[in-house]
Parts: sequence; structure tokens; C-alpha cells
Amino acid sequence: MAEALSEGWEANPRGAQRERTSLSKAKYFSMYSNYGVPLALTVIGLLFMAAMVGLQKLLAPNNPFRRKLMPYECGEPPTGSAWINFNVRFYLIALVFVVFEVEVAFIYPVATVYLDWIRRGQRWFALSEILIFLLILFVGLVYVWVKRDLEWIKKVPDQDSVT
Amino acid sequence: MPVSGVPTRLLNPEMEALQIYERLKQRFPQQIVESGGKLEEFAVIDAAGVVDVCRFLRDDPETAIDCLSNETGVDYKDRIEVVYHLFSYKHRHSCVLKVKLPRENPVIATVEGIWSAANWMEREIFDLLGVTFQGHSDMRRILMPEDWPGYPLRKDFVEPQEYHGISTVRESPIIRLDQKH
Amino acid sequence: MSLLNTLPDYVLTTKTDELINWMRKSSLWYMLFGLACCAIELMHTGGPRSDIERFGATPRASARQSDLMIIAGTLTLKMALRTRLLYDQMPDPKYIISMGSCSNCGGLFQLAYSVCDGVDKVLPVDVYVPGCPPRPEALTEGLLKLQDKIMSERWLARERRTDQAAQS
Repeated sequence: MAEALSEGWEANPRGAQRERTSLSKAKYFSMYSNYGVPLALTVIGLLFMAAMVGLQKLLAPNNPFRRKLMPYECGEPPTGSAWINFNVRFYLIALVFVVFEVEVAFIYPVATVYLDWIRRGQRWFALSEILIFLLILFVGLVYVWVKRDLEWIKKVPDQDSVT
Repeated sequence: MPVSGVPTRLLNPEMEALQIYERLKQRFPQQIVESGGKLEEFAVIDAAGVVDVCRFLRDDPETAIDCLSNETGVDYKDRIEVVYHLFSYKHRHSCVLKVKLPRENPVIATVEGIWSAANWMEREIFDLLGVTFQGHSDMRRILMPEDWPGYPLRKDFVEPQEYHGISTVRESPIIRLDQKH
Repeated sequence: MSLLNTLPDYVLTTKTDELINWMRKSSLWYMLFGLACCAIELMHTGGPRSDIERFGATPRASARQSDLMIIAGTLTLKMALRTRLLYDQMPDPKYIISMGSCSNCGGLFQLAYSVCDGVDKVLPVDVYVPGCPPRPEALTEGLLKLQDKIMSERWLARERRTDQAAQS
């Protein structure tokens, strides 16, 4: 039974190291060959956009005149300025989002190579590094939280109590 | 019947309309010109005392008329009348007041300060009959366009031939066989 | 850069016009312009029982996103000016269906002082749908007639000159 199991299969003399795939062993491919798929998708996307805009330029009628280009206000002649003030809370939330989005972007490569670090026996070192990184940014989150910048609707204090 | 659509046995009014007019005559003997009517009893008020009468009707605890049901205008050949239909939610009685105005320059004080429902109603009377309400907060046309000439519901209103280049007459495409063409 | 009306005589466009017109007629997005009672029938035409969306016509609230304007209801003189502005603000190619008697000719209220007798006093109408109000089936037939009209439009094809036709 052991012979049947070991038939057609040879133990790898190099131990636990995995074999490289046959694709990367061939002479005509480089290490950038995995980027072929995104390249193809990009090219197709660009062709799509070119077709859309190109067909519109070729076939669409275009008759601009002054009344047509007026700002749309449901049939009434437009009054007032079209620029309005918008609330600053959008900016604050976007700012906090950008910071933590970049943090997540930095954590992704750590997650990718974490298995190699474990195999080398430096698990706690890697973990503590990434945790320190998270902790620094967490301090910032706590600051924003305490300063009530994460509340979408801030409660106004009563008229009697003067802050 | 005082308020149409509601049976009198359910309405159970506190005072009849004639009693309200009697009370008004006691208080304003010179403002009430006449009262009585065939279908529904109404009181004709002198144009100068409209605001005082209406304020008394609203504030008096016995009449307590807190709702202006309707305010409208009528164009008779020799005069324009403004008609007020009043109703009291507290006592569930109603009454009708009429004011006669001359056709040349119909001007009357506004009751918007007493019942704010009069805001749009007086705008409509101004728009369609040309009665100016003094003291109104927003005296402008409400139904017709702002640059419309004339007052449409007057008996001597002549429809303009065109409005901003749009003609107001449409020829009929039907060819009548009994007329020569 | 546009190809419309610029192709010389010797260029044959066989089915291109049909393709363009078929694409346009199968996706007529109409602007919700329900002014009066015909608006109820317009809503029902877009509803489940007589479904206009199976022809590709979906309602849009804005004039900028629509290429068909179904005028359903009485047009007053005050509204006629705004209707003209809304029509002007629609992107080309645009079509108009006049639905109901009031927008065809003023209808029941033709003699009134405030009514514009027919929407064709301010707009160029493609299809008139009579009725007071027209049934959803009638409006659907009006839309199909408009689709026939769209199919007969010529964008790229040009008339061949008679001497060329005699030579060939």
C-alpha cells in the first residue's frame, strides 16, 4: 500500500520550499506576466469609453443655444446663485475616512507576507510592529471621537449653561 | 342651512345667525346696514367698520367665531360685494357678512390680521375682481400670471387677443356644410 | 466631426439609419409632464396592467434626462411659457406627444380665459392622442405611432440625385 501511495511521486529534495510554477520557469515570460490580465481589462475599458464618446461625437445631433444651456430650474427662469454652502461635517468625515483608508492600505501587504514571518519565527515581532502602527492611529481616532467630530448631528448645549 | 353638508341635528348651533346679528346691532348700531335674506340670513356691513366687526366676532366669548370658512367676491352690475362666510368651532354656529363696494375703486381693509386664512382668499379676490385690500401683507396675483391685463371675473372683462405671442383663439377645423366657405 | 448630413453622395449607408433609429425608438425616456386628469391615465399607462416600460419608455422627472415629452392635461397660458422653456432644455433628438383633448386643442376649456388652446401653439407636436382622457391603450398606440415616425427619420442617408439614379 505504501508503494502505491508513493508511486509517481517523488519527495522534494529541497524540503519545504515550494516549487516554482511552470509558467514562471519558461524563458519567454518575466516576472511581470501576472499583470497581463489587468492590462487587458484596462485596454478593453479604454476601448469601451472611446466607442461611447466617439459614437456620440459622430452620430449625436448637437444644437446648443442660449435658452437650452440655461441652468435647469423646472421651467422657471433661474434666480439666485447656484453655489450653496454645504456643511463642514462632510469634510471632517471625509478626512477621517482618508486617514483610515490609507491605514488599511498599509495593513494589506502586512497580511500578505505575515505567513512568511511566522515561518521565520518572528511572529511576535511583526505583530507588535503592526499593532504599534494601529495604536498610533487609534489615538487619533480617540481624539476625534472625544472632540465630537464623529457625531453627524451635534447636540447643542442648553441655553442656560454657558460653555 | 347654515353649513352645507352637515345635518342641523348634528350641528346643534349655540346661536342662530339672526341672534348673532342682533348682538352685532347692539354693539355696532351704525355699522350694520341691514340683515335678513331669502335662502340664508346675511348682514350687510358698512365698509369702514369691517375690521372692528370681525374682531368683535372673534373675541366675543358668546359668538367666538374663529374660522373664516370662505371669503369671496361678487360682481353685480352696479357694485362689487365681498362676502364673508364665518364659522365657530366652539359654538358651531355660522353667519354671513356682506360688504358693498363701488365698482370704480373697490378698496377695503383686510381681515388678514384677524383670520390668517384671509391671506390667499383676498389675493384671489384681488386677482380676479380687482378689489384692493389695504394692509395686506402680500397683495399680488395668485392664479393669473403676474403681467396679466385686467380682472377676469368682472362682467366687463374682455379677453386679450394674445398673451406673449400666444393667440387665445383657435379656429375650428370642422367645415360646416351649411355655411358657405 | 459629426457625420450627420456630411457624407458625400458616393457613400452608401445601408442599414445604419435603421440601427440608429431602432436604438432611439426602443429607449424613449419620457418626461413626467402630467398637468391635469390625463396625468392619471399617464401613470396608469406606466403601471403594471398596460405597461409602457416594455417598449423601453421609462419616466424621468427632469427635462435634461428625457427625450420624449408627453403633455398630459390642460395647458394654461401661465404654464405655456414654462413648457416652452422646458422643451428648449431637452437634449436633441426630442419628440412630443400631445395627450388628451386639452393639450390637442384646449378641449373642454377652450373658451376659458386662462387656457392655451392646444399645446401646438407653443411646441411642435409629433403625435396627437385624442381622448378625454385617452385610455392607456390609446396612449400606447400613440407611442407606437411615434416609434414608426422615428424609424422613418434619416440621419446619415442622403437622397440620391436623379442623374446618378439615371446613370446607375
